[in-house]
Amino acid sequence: MTRPGILRNWFLIRRDLPHGRRLLLSIISFLLPLAVWTLVSYVPWIWHPDMKIRISAEREGVTTVFTSGDHVSREFFPEFADAVRQENQAVLAARASGTVESGGKRKNQKLLRQIAPVAIDHGWLPYTEAQNDPELYKIWRDLASGTKVATDPALSPENLEIVRQNWATLGARSPEFAYRELPDEPLLKLVPQGDPANPVYLPAPHEVLKAGYRDFTAEVPEGEPTMGQRYAHSLRVILAGFLWSCLIGIPLGILCGVFDFFSKLFEPFVDFFRYMPAPTFSTLLVAVLLAGDAPKVALVFIGTVFQMILVVSKTTKLLDPSLLEAAQTLGAKPRQMITRVVIPGILPNLYNDLRILLGWAWTWLVIAELIGVKSGLTEFIETQGRFRNFDRVFPIIILIGVTGFVTDQVLSWLHGVFFPWAGKSGKLSRAVADAVMWPVRTVAAGARERIAADEADRELRRNRPANS
Amino acid sequence: MTASSTLPDYREMTPEVSARFERLVQRPVALEVRELTKRFETPKGAVTALDRVSFSVHKREFTCVIGPSGCGKSTLVRILAGLETPTSGEVRVYDHPVVGPGPDRGMVFQSYTLFPWLTVKENVMFGPKMSGTPDFAAEREARQWIEMVGLSKFENAYPHQLSGGMKQRVAIARALANQPRVLFMDEPFGALDAQTRCQMQEYLLEIWKNVDITIVFITHDLDEAVFLSDRILVLDANPGRVREMIPVPVPRPRASSQLFDPAFMATRKHVDELIHPPGTEKKEAPVLRMAAPDPDIL
Repeated sequence: MTRPGILRNWFLIRRDLPHGRRLLLSIISFLLPLAVWTLVSYVPWIWHPDMKIRISAEREGVTTVFTSGDHVSREFFPEFADAVRQENQAVLAARASGTVESGGKRKNQKLLRQIAPVAIDHGWLPYTEAQNDPELYKIWRDLASGTKVATDPALSPENLEIVRQNWATLGARSPEFAYRELPDEPLLKLVPQGDPANPVYLPAPHEVLKAGYRDFTAEVPEGEPTMGQRYAHSLRVILAGFLWSCLIGIPLGILCGVFDFFSKLFEPFVDFFRYMPAPTFSTLLVAVLLAGDAPKVALVFIGTVFQMILVVSKTTKLLDPSLLEAAQTLGAKPRQMITRVVIPGILPNLYNDLRILLGWAWTWLVIAELIGVKSGLTEFIETQGRFRNFDRVFPIIILIGVTGFVTDQVLSWLHGVFFPWAGKSGKLSRAVADAVMWPVRTVAAGARERIAADEADRELRRNRPANS
Repeated sequence: MTASSTLPDYREMTPEVSARFERLVQRPVALEVRELTKRFETPKGAVTALDRVSFSVHKREFTCVIGPSGCGKSTLVRILAGLETPTSGEVRVYDHPVVGPGPDRGMVFQSYTLFPWLTVKENVMFGPKMSGTPDFAAEREARQWIEMVGLSKFENAYPHQLSGGMKQRVAIARALANQPRVLFMDEPFGALDAQTRCQMQEYLLEIWKNVDITIVFITHDLDEAVFLSDRILVLDANPGRVREMIPVPVPRPRASSQLFDPAFMATRKHVDELIHPPGTEKKEAPVLRMAAPDPDIL
């Protein structure tokens, strides 16, 4: 039985696909989640469990106040709108029966501001002017007369009717806003309007892009770091922590890998210590190292160094022992065995270990930036997250992800440049390695030739008879 | 068995060969092994790998060590190189006792053990540099040795770019560049294919002819042992004991055409019988009782 073409060409058990197909799949692996995000965000009938309120209304005797931009569940929204409609019915009924409440000027002033979000969305008002009553008054007038037409969001026919009815009352009393002239009797409330929306924690791609662009280009108040400075600060903390960790972890790891003495002396405790989560030391670190970057760097250090000692030790132990025996039979002394065999021999694997550990360090960074005085990218995430501004949080999370990913890819590619002898280099990295090493090799070759010539010269002079 | 009955006695030598052996034993002793015993402690109790092994090798002699698997040939050569310590007994190289690995005894391993981060040239320079030879002198020397094993074109290649045979040639050059007095080779051609193996054997004899070196060569290949050596040390298994030290009556210089000389075949047969004694012949292979089709061409 022959397998269908698609199975034969794309699904091979334990066999690599051709280069083009692999590349295509790699690209798709990024496009796929993006596509899902886009679909969920822009196709209204997929998910969208919330209603985002565009026109809100305050209700009598209900303490929970929703403002424009709030999310409510889709089930609750009609209930909310109906409640407002019923209040309007009651107002109309009261008007008809003549039992009108009084003392409603203040309430009516608030009611007029219901239109503000619509005005701001259309650019009729700057968003700082949401309580500019004279301007809002004009907008009521214009909407009622049809001089202004709301398009996005469009006023529902029901609300347009309410605008006209209200303006009939208002316009009859005063063409311009005057608090004194507001009616005492309640006006009709605009019925809440809204759009289906996803929960606040899933902003749409364009919102994230816009927020990201705004945050990265925004002028910041005096004394606050710009996003670039935050980013640089985060990078400084992680690099400092990681370098300290390398400084201690690599030599110790190699010692443990080479000498059973150090392995048995250090490794059991290190193995125990690494199970104590680094963040649990945060308060201690702040107490010892005070505020500032020191405790943050120390946290990244503690989170990384113990793993590093064990991993480096393991890598060292994996070095082919017959290489050491070969070196011994060639006359290498113990110190030379470490410097000439162990260290160069483990370098490519050590390099890969460090790449993976750098990824670990990023995890600790996020916690490190929250201890003591919050700082860097994480402080921004934390603050904006509290305000539920997730559209501003996602760009930062993505930035951290991209930084980690790109660093790792670049480092992985550089592996081929640094270690051409490991036999895993691609054509490009080998070419780069050759190009970089070329001047060094040329200089070295020149020096060697000069030394050899000098030596030959000296030998010649030594052998020449003294009297000639 | 009828063909073998026409073979001469393996002890028969032409006058030239016996004269050569007489000259050989006149030479100073390069390697002397006295009452060497090695016991390993295992969870199941002590295992004796080598039991009072004694023999000596003369300067410039080519000796092969052969024996059934488990006879401790590798252990023996590791002790000779100083990589392991014997339980008792003594090894002397030119009358100096061996206490650890050292540059006076070179070693070529079956697994090549080239340093993958060094080029061919740098690998060969490794030994001289360890003993403090300046770079330019080490390089000059390395070039000569690389030329000798015919790899000048590859002096800047990394080991991963070489074939198995080439790697082993580099390993030999690397060991020789250190100018050891004795060279130990632990089944160096065991991982190579049959053809490369033959080439390498001829290569090795050529090198041995041109270099002042005593070689102790471990192998489990009868033809290889007879083809290469002056004398063959046959070991018994469990525990490893010296069975016999056989002088090879095949004249030198050797060529692969001699593989069918009566002297060669007689020696080979004798060694074979020592390793696989007639009484302990392996059992007949079980006969397959399946009727395969097309028996007419069998």
